[in-house]
Amino acid sequence: MRIRTTDLTRIYRLGQSEITAVNKVNLEINEATFIAIVGPSGSGKSTLLHLIGLNDYPTQGKIFIDDADISLLSSRECRKIRLLRMGFVFQTFNLLPTLNALENVELPLALTGKPRKEQREKALRLLEAVGLSNRLFHRPKELSIGEMQRVAIARALANDPEIIIADEPTGELDSKTAKEIIALLFDINRKEKTTVVVATHDEKIVDAADTIYTIQDGVLRLEG
Amino acid sequence: MRTVLCIIGVALATTFVIAVGATTMRYTTVIKEMNVLFSGQVMVVSKDAIIIQAIPIGGSMLPQSSTVEKIKNIAGVEKTVPILFITPIDIGGILQPVPVNFSMGIPVEDWQLILGPTPLKGNVGHFPTNESSNEVVVGASLADQYEWSVGTKLNFSDYELEIVGILTTKLALLNRCVVMPLKLAQKIYSSLGSVNIITVKPLQGYSQKNLTDTIEEQIAYVSALTEDKRNDMIQPILAQVETWNLGIQTVVFIMSLILVMTVTLMSVSERRRDFATLDAMGAPLSHVFRLVILETSLIGVLGGALGIFFGSLTALVLASLYTNIPLAQFFPSILEFVPPFYMLEIFVTIIAVCCLGGIIPAINATRMRIAEVLRAEY
Repeated sequence: MRIRTTDLTRIYRLGQSEITAVNKVNLEINEATFIAIVGPSGSGKSTLLHLIGLNDYPTQGKIFIDDADISLLSSRECRKIRLLRMGFVFQTFNLLPTLNALENVELPLALTGKPRKEQREKALRLLEAVGLSNRLFHRPKELSIGEMQRVAIARALANDPEIIIADEPTGELDSKTAKEIIALLFDINRKEKTTVVVATHDEKIVDAADTIYTIQDGVLRLEG
Repeated sequence: MRTVLCIIGVALATTFVIAVGATTMRYTTVIKEMNVLFSGQVMVVSKDAIIIQAIPIGGSMLPQSSTVEKIKNIAGVEKTVPILFITPIDIGGILQPVPVNFSMGIPVEDWQLILGPTPLKGNVGHFPTNESSNEVVVGASLADQYEWSVGTKLNFSDYELEIVGILTTKLALLNRCVVMPLKLAQKIYSSLGSVNIITVKPLQGYSQKNLTDTIEEQIAYVSALTEDKRNDMIQPILAQVETWNLGIQTVVFIMSLILVMTVTLMSVSERRRDFATLDAMGAPLSHVFRLVILETSLIGVLGGALGIFFGSLTALVLASLYTNIPLAQFFPSILEFVPPFYMLEIFVTIIAVCCLGGIIPAINATRMRIAEVLRAEY
């Protein structure tokens, strides 16, 4: 999956004032790359990720996925792309609290209508891959923070996405667990050739990324 | 916890609807049944009689012989049966807020005409054959309540009566009735030579309406009522009762809908991050919508099932309180009291109401966007 943006802008209105969260961003994400977007809090990292993850609509500018203009797609088609071609990892994990680890991972598979047996086998495989085969039936509140993020990564991988979009995936983790999660993301990128886009403060991620962007006041710059 | 309270709220609403509905239905059914005994016949009562359907509950008596003779001489009359109908009868000095015990005196040769082919319990015993005997038959419900059986002796106003048969019937009126020969009833109730109903069977092809007009024209002190007229007299009251019942049900269902909607709106609002996550994962809107509707319909299923159970019990308790008939006696006939179709109707309605109550919260849930939710949280 290749993602390209041209003059991508997102403006929020807060009462009388306007906030330009993303300002004329031109970005190109190629297949199988590991991209880090770095910037302080409130710089527009998350907004940019939501835009390229089709979770938000730009005020101006365009997003192209494999050269197809997203603005021409219906909401239903965007959902289908999110479901089948993208995986999301959130800073706060966003696991469904009433489901156990296995069910959380099965959820995206169920949404595609895959048979029950296939869902279960795939979810078991993914949880084993992230080292959680002994925590299958634990609910999120019974898991450690690191385990929750692993479940979230397994969930993001469920439908074999072409891109994983991770919003500060190590933001809530201690340094040891953060290191493990970073290693996991790199592993996925290298072995599965899955594109990974990470918004982060974490220098360990920045050091290892193929491409680094910095963002300040919504303006994106290529660092290397 | 909130969902549990919501289920309890729906259960209470259903309990109320079932209890009120079943009780009302029971009484309207009993009132409608009263006409069954005199179906196809004209009923002659005193002009000042107060009657419900075919049952006189007040007014003067009719002189039996002279009135019957006068009616017999009217053209179009095939058969007349004088009846003494007494309500309520006092058994054991128990005050009855709603009359539940009746007594009927019928000439022995005319029993079949009034009671029809009513069998006797276990085919044991017989109908009284002698007009001046002290033999009576009683309804099964009365017999069960007072543990009477064939051969039991009863003391009624200083007369010793003997039960010679127990009526097996679905008619509530007969189930609670002591039926005896007319002359015996007249002696017991100090009404010698008097009756309060004379049923008149018209000749085949003869109009009931014409017959009643003629009877009232020729006998000044009576009212003659066709079956239609008897129904017409009670119909507006029954219709009003049913309208009130429907009104109460509607109000209760609307309150349930508001309760379910409010609780689900709060629940969806609290779980906005979960719904937004589903949206971010690409879950179809219909999936999110169905999820919320499924939750509210489950509230309906659980609340409805509990409500039907407790509502049916409440209906029986109410009937027992009103009639002084022991609760245990109602249990075997619970499905007659709260018919399965009525239970199903209320169950389906409460589930539909809960689903309706889920629509607005479900629409809200489909509008949760991860970008907005996270932005609002930070």
